[in-house]
Parts: sequence; C-alpha cells; structure tokens
Amino acid sequence: MSSKLPASPLEPRAQDGAPKKKKILVPKVENGHETMVEIEVDDVAGPEWGPREKLRLLNHEFVRVDAVDKVTGRARYTHDVRLAGMLYAKFVACPLPHAEVRVDLSAAKQVPGVVEARVVRDGEIRFVGQPVAVVAAKTREAAEDGARAIKLDLKPLPFAVTREQSLAANAPEVNRRGNASKPDERGDAAEVTAAFARCAAAIEATYSVPVQHHACLETHGAVVDVPSNDAATVYHSTQATFASAGEFKGPLKVSDVEVINEHMGGGFGSKFEAGVEGRVASELARDLKVPIHLMLSRKDEFLAAGNRSGCTATVKLGGTQDGKLVALSASVDRFGGLGGGSHAGLPYIYSVETSHRSMRSVYTHLDGNRAMRAPGHPQASFAMESALDELAYALGVDLVEIRKRNVGDVHAKQLERAAREIGWAEHPHKSKPDLSDAVVKVGIGFGLSQWGGGGHPECRVTVDIAPDGGVRATVGSQDLGTGVRTYVAAIVAEELGLPLGGVTARIGRTSYGPANASGGSVTTASLAPAVKHAAFNAKRSLLEALAKTLASAPDELVLDTQGVYDARSKRRLSWKDACATLPPAGISAVGEWQANLASNGVHGAQAAKVRVDTRTGEIQVVKMVCVQDCGLPLNRTGVRSQIFGGMIQALSYALFEERVIEPDLGLALNANFEDYKLAASREIPEMVAILDDDDTRGVIGMAEATIVPGHSAIANAIHNACGVRLRSMPLTCDKLLLGLAALKKG
Amino acid sequence: MGVLHLKINGDDLEVAAPGHWTLLEVLRYRLGLTGSKQGCDKGDCGACTVLLDGKPVLACLTLAATVQGRHVTTIEGLLPAHVAAGGKGADPVQDAFDRCGALQCGFCQSGMMLSARALLNRNPQPSDAEIKDALSGNLCRCTGYTQILQAVELAICEAAGRTPTPRSWERASCADSGAASASDSGERSA
Ligand code: FES
Ligand code: FES
Repeated sequence: MSSKLPASPLEPRAQDGAPKKKKILVPKVENGHETMVEIEVDDVAGPEWGPREKLRLLNHEFVRVDAVDKVTGRARYTHDVRLAGMLYAKFVACPLPHAEVRVDLSAAKQVPGVVEARVVRDGEIRFVGQPVAVVAAKTREAAEDGARAIKLDLKPLPFAVTREQSLAANAPEVNRRGNASKPDERGDAAEVTAAFARCAAAIEATYSVPVQHHACLETHGAVVDVPSNDAATVYHSTQATFASAGEFKGPLKVSDVEVINEHMGGGFGSKFEAGVEGRVASELARDLKVPIHLMLSRKDEFLAAGNRSGCTATVKLGGTQDGKLVALSASVDRFGGLGGGSHAGLPYIYSVETSHRSMRSVYTHLDGNRAMRAPGHPQASFAMESALDELAYALGVDLVEIRKRNVGDVHAKQLERAAREIGWAEHPHKSKPDLSDAVVKVGIGFGLSQWGGGGHPECRVTVDIAPDGGVRATVGSQDLGTGVRTYVAAIVAEELGLPLGGVTARIGRTSYGPANASGGSVTTASLAPAVKHAAFNAKRSLLEALAKTLASAPDELVLDTQGVYDARSKRRLSWKDACATLPPAGISAVGEWQANLASNGVHGAQAAKVRVDTRTGEIQVVKMVCVQDCGLPLNRTGVRSQIFGGMIQALSYALFEERVIEPDLGLALNANFEDYKLAASREIPEMVAILDDDDTRGVIGMAEATIVPGHSAIANAIHNACGVRLRSMPLTCDKLLLGLAALKKG
Repeated sequence: MGVLHLKINGDDLEVAAPGHWTLLEVLRYRLGLTGSKQGCDKGDCGACTVLLDGKPVLACLTLAATVQGRHVTTIEGLLPAHVAAGGKGADPVQDAFDRCGALQCGFCQSGMMLSARALLNRNPQPSDAEIKDALSGNLCRCTGYTQILQAVELAICEAAGRTPTPRSWERASCADSGAASASDSGERSA
C-alpha cells in the first residue's frame, strides 16, 4: 500500500499537491522584434513528440488541409467579405512628404452613391501617402469617384526624404529630438584601434541597402460590422487576431469584438496593427450603422503600410593570416522614415575578438518602417557577409574556411553541406574572381543566418471528440499562409491515430480561444505544443471514459491507427465504435503550452551561384542552396515552402526591390507592382532546400531565418564571378557595368 | 446601368452593371465570384487572371461589355468544367497545386492556376522556359515559385503518363551529397 507507485504519465500533477515550478527563458515578440524574458512554468513531464521514426504524419510531407478551399477559390479573405448593406470606403492620401493640408469634402458629398466623406487628418502632414480623407459609398466605384472629387489645399513645407537632406545643416525638422538619434555605442573604440594593429589585413567599405516593401498580395484592411451597441465583428487581414480585437474596442466603443481572419493574403510583419484603416473603418461603421469595407489600394499599401528600413553601414574588419576575425568597427545609419528603423547590429553571427559599433536612426518624411521578416537581420547580413568576403580575398583565405573559422559547429557543418551542394570544391576560381576576357562568368557566394523562433505560453487549444467520431481542434490563431491550420489538424491526428482528414481544425476567430500574434516565427513553437497537449488530454479522457464502459483500465487500452485495443479483454474497437460509447456531449479537452515540446534558436547556411554577362551586365542567379535546422519539422512540405519563399524574397531584394522617392519633389515614383519589381517565375533559379535532420530538438519556427542571407550570398557570388564588388543594393546591371568599366581602367 | 449578357463558368447570366465596369468588378462586386483576386487593379500582379475562351486575360483590364457572348472561366468554374468534360474531381492543375504544396497564403493561386491551365490548353508539353514564361505575369510573394513550377510539371507529366524527374531538393539530405534521403524513402507528396 505504502510502496511508491511510479508517477503515472497520465497524472503528472496529482502526486503531491502543486507541481514544482521552474524558470525558463522564452522569446517575447513585440511588433516582430524578439527579446528573451524569464517565465515560470510547471516542472512536470507533459506529452512528448516521441521518436521521430515513429511519427506517422509529422516530419513527413503532407497536403495542406485548406488547399482545396484555396485552389477552388472558396477560401474567403477579408477583401472578399460581402455583407448586406455594406459600404466601400476609400482613402485619399497626401501626395507630398510634408505639407499643410486642408481638405474640402463638399464636391465629394455630391457624388452619386457617396454616403459619407470625412477628414482623416488635416493640418501638418508628415509623409508621402498619409491618408487625409476617406469616402464611404454604396459601390467601390462611387467611393473612387468620391475620392477623386475631394479637393486638397496643399501648402508644401520643406521636407527631407533622403539621408543627405535630413542631415543637412539647414534641414527641416523631421523629429523633435533631432533628425538623427543619439548614436547607440557598443564596445571600446580604443581597444579596437589597438586590435587592428595586430591584423594581417583589414578592409574598410560602406554598404547600403534600400527600403524594401512587404508587398503582401492582399493589401491591409478590414471589414467592420457593428450590429448592436455592445458587440462588433471585424474581419481583419491581421497577424494578430487577439491583439487586434483589443485595438478595435477603442474606436468601436463596444466591449465585445470578435475578430475573424479565416484566410489572409500574407503579412510578413506588416500586419500587426489595426492601423489607420482599422480605426477609420470602425468609426464609420459605428457612426453610419452599416458594415464598412476598407481595404487599402495597392498605392496606399506601398506608401503607408510599412516597409523594411534601409541602412548604410561603414565597416572596417581585420583578421589574422589564417582568417580569424580580430577587429571590427562599424557605424550604421538606419532609415526607417519617421520610424527608428531596425538593424541586428554588427558584428553579425560571426564572432570577432574586439568590436566597436555606433548606430543611429536618421529620420525622413516617409512612413515609418514596420517589422519585416527577420527585422534588421538582412541589413546586418549584407554588411557583415560582404566585409567578411572582402577580407577573405585580401587574406587569400578560402570563402568557406574563413566562415567556418569564426562560427560554431552547427553553422560550420551546414556551410560544408551547402558548399558541397553548390559545387564549391569543383569551382575553378575560389580565391580570385574570374578576371579573364570571358563574356559570361560564373561565381559562387555564401551567407549564414540565425534566428530565435522559440515559443511561449499564450495559446489555449480545445480538442473535441464527438460520439460520431468527429474530431475538432479549435484555437483562435491566424494562418498567414504558413500552414497553421494544417499542422493543428496533423498534430491531433497523429496523437489520436487518425488520418489527417479525420480532424477538422478551426482557427482564425477570437472566440476560438487565445493565441499569440504571429511575428518573429514564434507561432509554431507557441501553438504546436499547446495543440499536442490538448490532443494528449483528449486522448487521456477518451481512454478513461472507455475504461469505464469496457470495465478495463486506461493503461490497458492502446489507441492506434486501428482504433482502440483493450489488453484486458483482448477486444478491439474501431475508432467510430469507441467514440460511439461516449456520452452525447462527447469529450472536450484543453491544452496549453508545454516548454519541453518547443525549443529555440535556428541556424542556416546558404549558397548562391550566379552567371553574369559582362557585355550587358545581366545578372542571373542559377542556383541557390539553403541548409536549415528547425527542430522537429511538422510538415516538411510546408517547411520547404517557407525556405523557398524566404530565399526568393532575398533574391528579389538583392536584384530588384527598392523604394524610389524623387528627392527634389518628394514624390513616390514606384508605388505599384509595375515599377517596384518583385522576382517572378522567370527569375527563379534551381532551388535546393536541405533540412538539417541532425537537429532533434522540439518544434522551432524557422521562417525568418530563411530570408536573412540570400542577397548577401548573391552579392558575394557576383564578385566571385567577375571581380566587381557591389556594395549598394539592389544589385543592378547598370551598377555592374560601371563596376566592370572601373575594373578595366584599373 | 445596362444589362450585360455574360457566359460565366458555363452559365448564361444577365448582369446589371455600368458599361464601363471591368470584368473583375462584375465578378467580385456583382456576382460574388471572389475567387478572382484584386491584387493591384492595374494589370501588374496577375491575381485577377481568368480564362476567356480558354486564353488567360487580366479581368481588371478587361471591360465586361467586351466579353459578352464569349466563355469566361474563373477559378470557381475550373473544377466543374473538368467534371463536365468527363474528368473526376479537380482539374489536374488544381490537384497538382494542392499536392505539391504550391501555395501559402493562396492569394495569387487562382490567377496562377488559370495561367497554367491556359498554357496546358495550348501546349500540353511545354518546356521549363515556356512554363516560366506563361506564369511570368503572376506574382507570388509567399512561395518562391519553386513548388508552383513543380506542380505545373507534375500536371504535365501525369497527363502524359510520365513520372516527373525528382527535383534536386528532393534528392538532397543534410547528411550526404545526395544519394539517399528521407524524401527518397517515400515521403514525397509528388
Ligand atoms: S488585379 Fe489584375 S493584374 Fe493585379
Ligand atoms: S501564396 Fe501568397 S502570394 Fe502566392
């Protein structure tokens, strides 16, 4: 009687009252920026993922559960929501970067079909594209006619849209505390100067990246419906269904807001806020008592819905003869418009013995940057990887060797694998670019990535088993396109021995239960453990209930793909028959985050091979390779898709993307997909994504890491091909031709 | 406001709409056929691609009045059209996109798949370059296009009774230089 029974894994908390606590570090992400915070969790054994070779669905390739809805056009996005009596709203934006604006609405109100025209903001306007007025009308067309009828009285004010304009002696004030922020300094400048004296070689150069746009195919926006005085429904294209519901309560002045986000057309970090569009749609819906559809136009989207900040970084980097990095000094200017910009800091990824860096924001009259997939990291990568490459050539050290020498084991192993895949050993000119007279030249370049991607406790998942055998997993989380709905179903199916189609996942509504915002690649590591826990609890409840009906014991029952087997009676029940014994209400179990099911910290190595035509300057990426760890991959098809997506966003950033603002007039020149080019099918090279299966940790998010180094690898490959070091992105043919001409002159 | 006589997904429809409305406006704001997406409304993104007598057109640049009497196929009509032609279930293009994981957010997909369908209608055995050309007007921000190209190839191969060549990313694993991998042991979807 008194002998100690081994703690039942099914009753982890029942032993001696309250479970023990332990402290763990988890990432906290605000607006896409990740910091680590300490939290307390129960120190108990929860569910386990189990050995990977035993997994039936997870860690395999499977089809998305929402694919059919998406390929048949049935999936409903916010833009597609149509409600009875709904009005369409449209913004009018300020065309100037800095102006005193007065809005005349009178003509707009006369346009047939227009129900309301309002000022959104007048007086001093501080960025190109800032919404100043809105029109709501019975049709989209009438809203556009109304918007065109609005007269803006613009008094231009002096502006700064470039770094030079902002820092000029007589520059207009952009930020009250100065157009450049006080530099943030790290490290000891004098020590670094001394360290440079010990270097066998050092290089110094300035690297710059332009402002990039998120370019989500679905623009920002919401459809707001306020059917009563105390409740509202908001259809919102958002990365943060829950936070968004809180934000909408203010302008809607109701206590109960349901946010619905069944499907959304991308976010990439730009869709965390309700934004001016959410606020204005709410005010209109509340005042006019009809549903309001307010989606940004593509032009509004380019000018007022966020961007990845640009930057320039002047870097001096020195190392020993064998390629050990000894000294780095860097000064970085971030360009986030009215925002501070983001930058992961230098040195980046590689360890350098001594370093000093100074970093500041330079403000301009452009919309503020927002988080964008790995905020600040691609910027840091470009300067670091380029400088490291330049140093390698200066020292005569192999490009892979110099990288391996200054990183940890995981990165070193991944680099070797990437080098093998891209054909580095066979490459004819490793330590020198091809300076021959050949017209077409081929080069190879490398880059590394890292990211956190850990989880934290925020999600509550419910798993219901009905007497007819139906299983439903429910959580409020949104799916940006990454495949959340699919892995929610897969985790539950895995646990209950069901096929993927045996579980329905319901997501994308606040009433479905709390979930975290999807930023910083934290969704998977936050949500998947809670789903697993809910499924584990549901299974336990099912077996307990069955044990009673079958006069057996829960630990005598085995649930597998054949249904339930009772070891006591040697009887087998199919899943359906087992569920049929449940009471009419079925079973409902809840799950929460489990620290042991998630992990944190991913690494990646990428390589690019390019072909340059020295007559035309054409740059063609012919192959890209990514070796990526991510803990337990839930759906390998989905992981690959994330990797390819990130790599091509980086390719696009490398070769094409750049916001262009005319400096003298301050006008936006390419706020559309015609002039702001994204990579498309013709530019897609041979792509290789290799999952690092040596990584046997729990679930970790990896989507951000994949965008970090591709553009750096491409720039390095261009130099390796023909000897031209392009230090300013995008890497275009005109810059390459100028570089080739300069090389020829010597 | 006039009455337009349109043939959409096999249905003869009379639609009351102003004569200057685009086909995309009629589809999305009159008929509730929201599968055709509005990504830019000026002919740059391809999200609104529909088939006009089997050829791809941008619905945002096409006046609805000019397509009267011609056959319009939107994404909603692709599966029924395949079934009506004697096929089972989804069009092979839809099926291949589905199986290859050729989508993330899916906002670009209807246009992308209709461009692919149009290509296969006029050329059942296109080269890789021809596939890329045919899809070059359809932007996708999420997927990196790789699995999209794979899906089109799969649809082509299945129609011809061939097995697609495994992609290099399917052959490679982390441990080796490409001999055996988890993918080779049967976890591939395609
Ligand atoms: S909406 Fe027609 S091309 Fe973009
Ligand atoms: S899947 Fe999102 S744009 Fe293509």
